[in-house]
Amino acid sequence: METLVVGAVAYTANVVPIWEGIRDYFRGSAVEMDFVLFSNYERQVDALLAGHVDVAWNTNLAYLRTVGLTAGGCRALAMRDTDLAFRTVFVARRGSGLQGLESVRGARVALGSKDSGQARILPIKFLADAGITLDAVTPVIFDSDVGKHGDTGRSELDALQAVLSDDADVAALGITTWQQLKQAGELGVEEVWTSPAYCHCNFTALSSLDEARAEAWTSHLLAMDWDVPQERRILEMEGLRRWVRPELAGYRSLQEAMREQAIPLTW
Amino acid sequence: MVTNAAAVTSDRRTQLAITLVDVVGRLATGTTAMIPVESPAEVGVVDAWCRGNGHSVLAVHADAVEVYRGRLSDLDSKIPTERMPGRRLWLYANFHCNLACDYCCVSSSPKADPRALGVDTVAALVAEAVTAGAVEVLVTGGEPLMHPAIDEVVGICAAALPTVMLTNAMLFRGSRLRLLDALPRDGLTLQVSLDSATPGLHDAHRGAGTWLRAVEGIRVARSMGFTVRIAMTVSRRDDAQEEQVRQFAASMGISPEHMVVRHIARQGEATSGIVLSRATLVPEVCNGRGCLVAPCRGHRPGDDGEHRLDAPRSEHRVDPRGIPRLPPSR
Repeated sequence: METLVVGAVAYTANVVPIWEGIRDYFRGSAVEMDFVLFSNYERQVDALLAGHVDVAWNTNLAYLRTVGLTAGGCRALAMRDTDLAFRTVFVARRGSGLQGLESVRGARVALGSKDSGQARILPIKFLADAGITLDAVTPVIFDSDVGKHGDTGRSELDALQAVLSDDADVAALGITTWQQLKQAGELGVEEVWTSPAYCHCNFTALSSLDEARAEAWTSHLLAMDWDVPQERRILEMEGLRRWVRPELAGYRSLQEAMREQAIPLTW
Repeated sequence: MVTNAAAVTSDRRTQLAITLVDVVGRLATGTTAMIPVESPAEVGVVDAWCRGNGHSVLAVHADAVEVYRGRLSDLDSKIPTERMPGRRLWLYANFHCNLACDYCCVSSSPKADPRALGVDTVAALVAEAVTAGAVEVLVTGGEPLMHPAIDEVVGICAAALPTVMLTNAMLFRGSRLRLLDALPRDGLTLQVSLDSATPGLHDAHRGAGTWLRAVEGIRVARSMGFTVRIAMTVSRRDDAQEEQVRQFAASMGISPEHMVVRHIARQGEATSGIVLSRATLVPEVCNGRGCLVAPCRGHRPGDDGEHRLDAPRSEHRVDPRGIPRLPPSR
């Protein structure tokens, strides 16, 4: 079958070895693949819609924008096991006394980039769902990595830095950033509240992608094996143990947030 | 790695964690970056963070920790079979030494317990090594010439396998000169430590007047017909300094293939240096042809301090002049 072209966003230098590894893994399979790197998710979604790539490795926001821009004419093929249960964590200075979402009312809340699901869009929704609108807190905004949909983690680190330097009381972090930070030992910040799980990235294709090609490619992806050293290396770099079929219900909270916050389908 | 990470304040630990997530997160797997640290205890924080996130501490410098993105053990598969640890027999003939170098990885000194290997033990070890497929013997210490039967020890080794004896070349007089003269010329190389082309740096590590005596020793050994190799021990790579030593060696008739550059190991007396692992024992395991990993030269985050190690940049490649680099220091 014809080589499948996958788009991905180059948010760190490690993206290159990851995708070279995945490309090599597909060599000799029923559907081989190549990849194209983009500087931001908006360009990538444009390229998917224009047919320049067959599949896009999308963030949750990029996926939902694709859903919106195609009026549902797309589908998710697969995601990481870690994408099934992504969470946002609110943290504050250890001993601040803040505990639970209600305690955030009136606080200075550091939020990440405007296109980060985990550090900006969903935190605002979670607060709103608890009856805490943005005018009930003092938002401290860090649009540090717009275009990367929070992938770099930079805006989350800026938010945490604001708490450390007493420019904010609370910071919203993605669970993966928080878990990485905690490996240093007891930090000067602690969890205030952890959100319900939601879905993060997925491989998105337009509905027009040939079903047999899509399935052949997806099946081979799902067969990537943690117990095979060369394949494990790829899985570790991309932050998962296994690829899984998507569970679309996990995008509902972000979809609602986009509607509530009037986040446009493109900018 | 023994450091009191608990002594670091939680705020400072958070700051280090932010730096690590940011800097290492931007690296490609197989590259390194320097993380500035303010105390030895902070080295423990960096090490814990690396272990927890699947990364590695490559080297500890006086004011920074060099972090490798990924696990150094992932490089094991790239080590050529003939250079895998176990292919060369290292014999610590004795642990006492006429010097007390500040970077000695086994803390040898005049006060150290000699713990000398007996001749029979050496014979048994060498025979076993030959059976196991070893290809070379390296006799080190301490200063091997302080072993009273070093002539017999080296004789056994050199009769079985190509042998290198590491020495500071400062005891080539009197009875020890006679011991030296009793060593075989065939199958034996004397590896003499010389850290700089002038006395300053060498003497700073090894003691006043040591450079001059080492140079005299090199000349004596060569005049006696020994093959002499120079080993330069460095804390960070410095092309200019290496070139000076290379030229100085050439002035004594020692060719480039008989010079090695090795890194100080963070062992024994050394409080900074590379952290030992299979991958950092390069080119000990790679014969200087395609270093798997080697500390960089003091770059800091933000000044292009990234170095791919398994597909090295020029400073990590085999020296174009063919000079092997042998960590760690002894």
